[in-house]
Amino acid sequence: MAWNDIIVDSLKKWDTSLVAYVPDISIDRVTTLIDDDPYFHLVSATREEEAIGVAVGAYATGRNSAVFMQSSGFGNSINAIASLCIPARTPIPIFLNLRGGPGEFNIAQVPMGRATRPILDTFGLVHFTLEDEYNMEKIVDGALKLCHANRQPVAICMTQLLHGGKLA
Amino acid sequence: MLRFEATQMLLRHIGDLPIVSNLGPTTDELWHAGHRDRNFYTYGNMGLCSSIALGMAVSTDEKVVSLDGDGSLLMNLGSIATIGREQPKNLLVVVWDNEQWAQTGHQSSHTAFGTDLEQVAQSCSIPRTATVNNLEDLEAVFCDALEQDGPWFIVAKIEEAEYMPVAPIEPEMTLYRFRQTFGASGV
Repeated sequence: MAWNDIIVDSLKKWDTSLVAYVPDISIDRVTTLIDDDPYFHLVSATREEEAIGVAVGAYATGRNSAVFMQSSGFGNSINAIASLCIPARTPIPIFLNLRGGPGEFNIAQVPMGRATRPILDTFGLVHFTLEDEYNMEKIVDGALKLCHANRQPVAICMTQLLHGGKLA
Repeated sequence: MLRFEATQMLLRHIGDLPIVSNLGPTTDELWHAGHRDRNFYTYGNMGLCSSIALGMAVSTDEKVVSLDGDGSLLMNLGSIATIGREQPKNLLVVVWDNEQWAQTGHQSSHTAFGTDLEQVAQSCSIPRTATVNNLEDLEAVFCDALEQDGPWFIVAKIEEAEYMPVAPIEPEMTLYRFRQTFGASGV
């Protein structure tokens, strides 16, 4: 199964029907699937911290939610995660296109891309990095299970090696 | 109009509908005006009050009320555009507009220099908007907004008063209590 199908299946398995996101070309193959599937309500936010707020609001009414963004947008959402998700304990999976790895062409994407996982570590938030589809169903399913068990965000970092995204 | 008396008035009409409150005095005064399990108090995440309410509104059929502040909303004006794009009929945004960042030392906010948040909402395709300057007008438009489809965006001009004690509440329990009222299972 392709990586984007695996993510959609896992979201459905965990009854996650609200997705808030900021568009990103490299993970467009999964957010397009979500947008085309009537199971999901996809909210397009203007900025990543807004997406976090929308996801938390959905979860507060009993609806599981997830967010999709690029690692640069993770930078925009740090205080929302730190001052809302962590203190309130919201199990929001954060699907990130992790920039700054092998194949990166844009110097401006390197600092935030390289800093993303150390920032998650500083918060004590669990993260997984996907570089290929090997074992991916188990990893994504397990990440969502852990997310709900721990009632904290979990980051699933999707690299260029996985999605073959923009190289130049 | 004082925010506390206005909050008390809103609670008299709101029944059991969910409320999201902006951090600081808006949250504190909501607690003092009447703690309910359906008050979603926020403590940080400045600017996200209406975004959280939007996430609720697209997930429930009930009317959802956001109690925001001018300084906070200015930090996340994109939220108004997203509400305009989503057009949730059941979302009712009230903005307490004191034209200042009161908690940080009463520095003037942009609404003191011509930014008209109601016009921002109108230009983002929010169909039902109002600006009110006194309690009677707020009560009238708020009662209309509870009955009629929105999204609604009401700017309530207020004067600052002395702060009330910080509400004795914390985020994890707020979320837990709130979710239980929607029948959410587990934690």
